[in-house]
Amino acid sequence: MNRSTKGVVIGGVAVALIIAILSPYIASTNPDGLGATAEHLNPALMKDNDFVNPGYWHAPFNNYEIWQIGGKLGGILALVLGLFIVMGVALGVSEIIKRKKRSEEAKIIDAKRSDA
Amino acid sequence: MILHIPDGFIPLWQCAIYYVIALTFLFFAFRWSRNNLNEKNIPLMAVLAAGIFAIMSMNIPIPFGSSGHMVGAAMVAIIFMSPWAGVICIAMVLMVQALFFGDGGVTTYGANVINMGVIGSFVGFYMWQALKHPRLGGLLNLGKYWSVGVAAWIAIFLAACMAAVEMWLGGTFPLGLGLLYMGGYHVMIGIFEAIITVIVVFTLHRVRPDLLAWNSKKNKDDFDLSTGPQESEEAPSK
Repeated sequence: MNRSTKGVVIGGVAVALIIAILSPYIASTNPDGLGATAEHLNPALMKDNDFVNPGYWHAPFNNYEIWQIGGKLGGILALVLGLFIVMGVALGVSEIIKRKKRSEEAKIIDAKRSDA
Repeated sequence: MILHIPDGFIPLWQCAIYYVIALTFLFFAFRWSRNNLNEKNIPLMAVLAAGIFAIMSMNIPIPFGSSGHMVGAAMVAIIFMSPWAGVICIAMVLMVQALFFGDGGVTTYGANVINMGVIGSFVGFYMWQALKHPRLGGLLNLGKYWSVGVAAWIAIFLAACMAAVEMWLGGTFPLGLGLLYMGGYHVMIGIFEAIITVIVVFTLHRVRPDLLAWNSKKNKDDFDLSTGPQESEEAPSK
C-alpha cells in the first residue's frame, strides 16, 4: 500500500469508526423495511423468536451485543469489532485471489518455458 | 433488530436454490476479482466493505414507523465500474453479519446476497450506465451525480421488490401487499441510499480521482466527467 492509498484507508476507517460509535446513539429503533412489513403482514412470524437463534448456528455477537456488555458501549464495541473483521475478511479474500492468480501465471510461464 | 432476511422467513428448500444462484454469481465475482483487484484498489475495496458494514447498522427513521439502512452495492459497482465488485463486497459484509452478528440468517444468506449483492449491484450499475448513455441520458439530462443517485435509489427499490417476491414464493407475505409495503418503505430508504452514494462518489472524485475506475484510461472515453453524458457523435457508447 503506497502512502496516498494509506490516506484513503485511514480516512475511510476513521469515518466508519465515527459511524460505529454514533450508531447506537442515533440509529432508529423502529423496525426496518422488512421488519415493518413482516409486522403488518405476518405478525405471528415476528413473535416467533426462533429465527434469531435457529439452533444450528449461534452468532457470537448476536444482535450486535458483545460479551454480556449491555447497553450502548456493547453496541459500539460490537460494531468496531465487526468493522475490523469485515476489513480483515476483505483483505484476506483479496490476498487469496491474488496468490492464486500469481501461481496460475507462474504455471503458464513454466509451461511456455518447457515448450520452448 | 432484523435488517436482512432472517432464518425461518423462507423454506429451506428455497434457501438451497438461492444458495446455488448466489454461489454462481460469486464464482464470476471471484473471477472478476482475480483479474481486476490489485495493490491499489484492494485497500479501497476493504475500506468500502468496512464502511458499508458500519453504515448498515445505522438505521435512519422513515415515515410510518419504520426505518432503513444503506446497502451500498450500487456505490461499489459504480466506483469499480463493475457489478461483480458490488457482488463480492456485499457478499463479504453479509457473511460477517450473518456468522458473527446474527444479522440475516445463515440459511437465507443466498437470498440476501441475491437481493442486496446481485440485484443491488447489477441494477445500480446498469441503470447508471443507461442514465449516462447518450440517448437516455441526453433525454433526461440528469448529469453525472444525479445519474449515480437515481441508479442507487432504483437499485435498493428493486432489491426490496425482489425480497418481497421471495417472501411470496416462501409463503411469508402475499405478493401484492408485500410489494406495496416493501416497495413503499424502500422508496423512502432509497433516498438515503442515493444521498450517501453521491457523497462517497463525489468525495472520491475530488480526493482521489485515480481510484474511481471511470477515470482509468480504459473507461475514460466512455464517460467524460467534465461534462457528463456525451452526445453519440462525440463519445460513442462502447
